[in-house]
Amino acid sequence: MSPEGVYRLLLRAYPPDFRSRYGGEMSLLFRDEYRTRGATAFGFWMTMVWDVARSAGSMWVEELSARVERFTRTLEAVMKLAGILAVLLGLLGVLSTLAETVAAMRGTLEGVHALSVALGGIAAVLLVTAGAALLRSTPSSRQTATIALVASFVVILAARLMHPWMSMLLQIVGIGLPIVLLAALHWPHRRNPSTSPAR
Amino acid sequence: MARKQQTAVTPESQLPLAPATFEILLALVGGERHGYAIMKDVTARTDGAVRLGPGTLYGALKRLLKSGLVEEGGERADPELGDDRRRYYRLTKLGLLVARMEARRLEAMVRAARQKKLIGMEPA
Repeated sequence: MSPEGVYRLLLRAYPPDFRSRYGGEMSLLFRDEYRTRGATAFGFWMTMVWDVARSAGSMWVEELSARVERFTRTLEAVMKLAGILAVLLGLLGVLSTLAETVAAMRGTLEGVHALSVALGGIAAVLLVTAGAALLRSTPSSRQTATIALVASFVVILAARLMHPWMSMLLQIVGIGLPIVLLAALHWPHRRNPSTSPAR
Repeated sequence: MARKQQTAVTPESQLPLAPATFEILLALVGGERHGYAIMKDVTARTDGAVRLGPGTLYGALKRLLKSGLVEEGGERADPELGDDRRRYYRLTKLGLLVARMEARRLEAMVRAARQKKLIGMEPA
């Protein structure tokens, strides 16, 4: 195998995007340097291998960081939509609670049932609060959203355990949505790389 | 046509520069160069003390392009090196400004070292 072929094999250590963009130029530079410094020099090959090992590692770190950054940006956009969804579903929960209250008041409203409906209403209001906080997207509103989501989850769970008045949709939304939003809210966010020095 | 990889950054946010990065900017102060010319310039200027490997050089160039300190020029052959078309790189105004600021920063450090008599003294 030719020395350039060996070097092209070494280039496989780099991320594909970097390799496709700079691989050709790097091979050319290798060839120029190889001709200048001599093929047989052991030190030359050691230098090349060390250079690949060191720079490929940092390129992979940058590549993976960029992927996380892209994912985080997407997630932030999704969180806005999730905020709107949380507000709408929270309002749906409030309306359901009111409908349940009206229906129950026509018959006999037991103590536990009444308490469960009241808790459902509180959970729905907390979900609306969390959704509104998510839409603001500031550090303090993230904290508010977290607290409101945890509280909403606990309250709706307590309401469900007390009395099974909720529809299946309300149960899925009331219990599942806070969990999903909390997980997305606490995904590790990164600083914008455009402000990082060119090292 | 020259391609630019944009990213708005402040010069201050780029400092201090890594030594290899500053060497590349210094090599480009004299005009646009391709990768091998940058490598040769750095090696010659530092009497061989700094040798940039292809990975180190293009890794640094990628970051410099991203931060807008360097931009790509055209692609053409270097008559001294054969017929292969090579991509040329050149400093942007921001790159030149950052290189100046880094040089001043280093100058101030050297001045401080001189004042502390770390350098510039005759050996005993």
